[in-house]
Amino acid sequence: MKQFTNDTTADRRGFLKNVAASVVAAGALVPAGLSAKDDPALMKEPEWGKKLGKPVDADLYGMPSPYEHNVQRRVHELLSSGDMYASVAMSPVQDIEGIITPNGLFFNRAHGGVAIVDPNEYRLIIHGLVEKPLVLTLEQLKRYPSESRIHFIECPANGSTGWRAPQFDTLQFMKGMMSQAEWTGVKLSTLLKDVGVKPTAKWVLAEGSDDSHMGRTIPIEKILDDAMLVWAQNGEALRPEQGYPVRLLVPGWEGNLNVKWIKRLEFGDKPWHAKEETSKYTMLTPTGKAVQFFWPMEVNSVITRPCPDKPWTDLKKGDVVEIQGLAWSGEGTIKGVDISFDGGKNWTEANLKGLVLPKAWTRFSYIYKWDGKPIVLSSRAYDDAGFVQPTITQEISKMGVEGIYHRNAIVSWEVKANGEVHNVHVRDYKKEKENIQKMQKGAKNA
Amino acid sequence: MLKLNKKISVFAAIAISFSVSAVAGEKDVKVQAPKVRAIDGATEYKVEKGVYAGVYRVNTQTDKIKKFGYGKKATANEIKVSDIDVRYDWQGLPDGKGTPAKGEELYTKNCVMCHGEFGAGGKGYPVLAGGQGSLKNQLIDPASGDEPPVRTIGSYWPYASTLFWYVKTGMPFPHPMSLTNDDVYSIVAYLLSLNDIQVGGEDLDDDTVLDKKKLMTVVMPNVNGFYPKVNGKNGAQNVKKFLSKASNYGTQTVRCMKNCKPGEVVKIKHTLDDGIKPPLSEKRDLPKVKAGGAANNKYAKLFEANCKACHGNKAIAPVPGDKEAWAPRIKQGKETLYKHALKGFQGMPPRGGTNLPDADIKGIIDFMVSKSK
Repeated sequence: MKQFTNDTTADRRGFLKNVAASVVAAGALVPAGLSAKDDPALMKEPEWGKKLGKPVDADLYGMPSPYEHNVQRRVHELLSSGDMYASVAMSPVQDIEGIITPNGLFFNRAHGGVAIVDPNEYRLIIHGLVEKPLVLTLEQLKRYPSESRIHFIECPANGSTGWRAPQFDTLQFMKGMMSQAEWTGVKLSTLLKDVGVKPTAKWVLAEGSDDSHMGRTIPIEKILDDAMLVWAQNGEALRPEQGYPVRLLVPGWEGNLNVKWIKRLEFGDKPWHAKEETSKYTMLTPTGKAVQFFWPMEVNSVITRPCPDKPWTDLKKGDVVEIQGLAWSGEGTIKGVDISFDGGKNWTEANLKGLVLPKAWTRFSYIYKWDGKPIVLSSRAYDDAGFVQPTITQEISKMGVEGIYHRNAIVSWEVKANGEVHNVHVRDYKKEKENIQKMQKGAKNA
Repeated sequence: MLKLNKKISVFAAIAISFSVSAVAGEKDVKVQAPKVRAIDGATEYKVEKGVYAGVYRVNTQTDKIKKFGYGKKATANEIKVSDIDVRYDWQGLPDGKGTPAKGEELYTKNCVMCHGEFGAGGKGYPVLAGGQGSLKNQLIDPASGDEPPVRTIGSYWPYASTLFWYVKTGMPFPHPMSLTNDDVYSIVAYLLSLNDIQVGGEDLDDDTVLDKKKLMTVVMPNVNGFYPKVNGKNGAQNVKKFLSKASNYGTQTVRCMKNCKPGEVVKIKHTLDDGIKPPLSEKRDLPKVKAGGAANNKYAKLFEANCKACHGNKAIAPVPGDKEAWAPRIKQGKETLYKHALKGFQGMPPRGGTNLPDADIKGIIDFMVSKSK
């Protein structure tokens, strides 16, 4: 895994050691009063302190330091449908601080490439079982009273490579199909006052205007509860990757339902059964039957430090270190996170820190004194909907391993004595097989 | 229950302040469920005294406004051209007709390069036929040689309406919304015939005409393969009931704190890490300056928009820059390459399935060759 790591702590230590050695070796060159214990980086005036920096009009849309250029979304051929248009670029979850993903690092899932929509030509059309079918321009839409909410968006296939076995040794590729932003837009319950939804309307089709013409069905209850049409993320216009100029926000629900480049809302009395609620985004179980319309993302968590991408190779025995991570639930607010050092046999409570918001990433933290011995670290979140993250075996014993979507089993890291961190599963294969066979037995093969 | 929770919260406070292990010596701790659940089984949040979910302030003046009056009333024509979906009850299915024979012709021109001969798939794109009888398969042990389930139109999809809708609005992948309704009927007829799906109790022959009336009689083999039931009066409520009960999908309601039995530690045996596109470099250093310029080329842009869906995947077609793949092709001479591109050759459809003029096709070939020398 080391070859993909962004963390340069090890490199930096090596560098300092080398510099110190060269200072000692070239002893005659050490100026008077400078000892080998002094950090040379501090003992000289740095280059940037001896000249003017860039003028303030050099970067009128600012970019991260060029030194951070390795912190970026990444792709994998196996996670695409044979191309980079119906594909996903994974967010570097391991590098995100706090609970907001910078717009340029927000995971990017598209089904027919990233459309570039002309905002002047943008129109939203609302029709079907309504009193007044409506057409809105972007400016008209933005005139409605706005609200801002912090929510994660997660693709339900996040972590799907882990169903059969651990296969990735990097957090970015295990959980990088999720990100969080502060979204600004209008609540649909506000906008729909101008439309007048008929009482016979039970379902809404939301459809995008891109190559894939993504359509998804949403029940009226959710539309009128907390769904929004949003045009801004983290204070600026939506990025094209997030559906510029307008996307649907369905807090806590499958990423796919948050239709990007949204063009049309149709109200109807029946669900539509679109391509992404029949052929895909349904979970096949060992009975041969599949779960459909599984809307929310379940309670989940992962330790982000340490992780395979952010190991403890610079720690030594007896060091005190913060273990931290992210917990989230599309079904409510995180109530707490438990943490285990023995692969889930015994658990203790971690602390939540920062903002604790509904349907949002929540940070947890635990101060730990590492004795330098190997451990297996796991986290387990629970929410105010009364749900607790399952073990791998608990989840598989109900869903099997072929469901693709909605995997929220506990994630475990093996921390070795040298500080390396690896993705491992803690599971009871025998029990899983028995339970799967039991389910298969009671069912007819389709 | 309430008593137990009270006790836990007191003990939990102690556990946090002293960082002692486990919650007050309890083995299993039940997590409190909400009083009211939303349609998805989630906690339902309300605005109370101008505060939503206890955290967000809201401007409650909005509640008092009956109408804002923005936008304009949609016309019948606007609704007609925008309403492109086909619902499972066939609402929205347009008139038209086609045959499997014509469908095969269109498939060969527009679809085969990704979905394979007879819908056999491969190259990362979905398999379109077969898989019947495989849905119960579970590949829990990849070393076992067991077959995984194969989800296709015939084995898995519950409604043929989805097939029509998908082809009409999402295919062909690089230029959707370009097929006529008759074309879509033909492709749908061909794909149904590949899956041995009957229409009106009869097999689809090459020249069987599939029209609106006939298509609406199609019942897919796996129509009853999905739960919870969402069609009918209580659809959303059925989903709510299903999602409210964690044991339906393996999620838990109890935190085991001590002596739990999660199983054994399993390490990575088969890694997927090799396929990761690596970062530009591994250190926190300055980025290397890349030689650029080509991206602004007109033909580079045309290539991106029209050809890359296939020519960006070396399993399907030669990728610009892949010198090894291009060497024998370049050797044939540009005139041959132009001819193959314009008239079609093997998996390559004429003009790559586009309507670009000769000059643009030739320009794109020149661009691809220049990148690959």
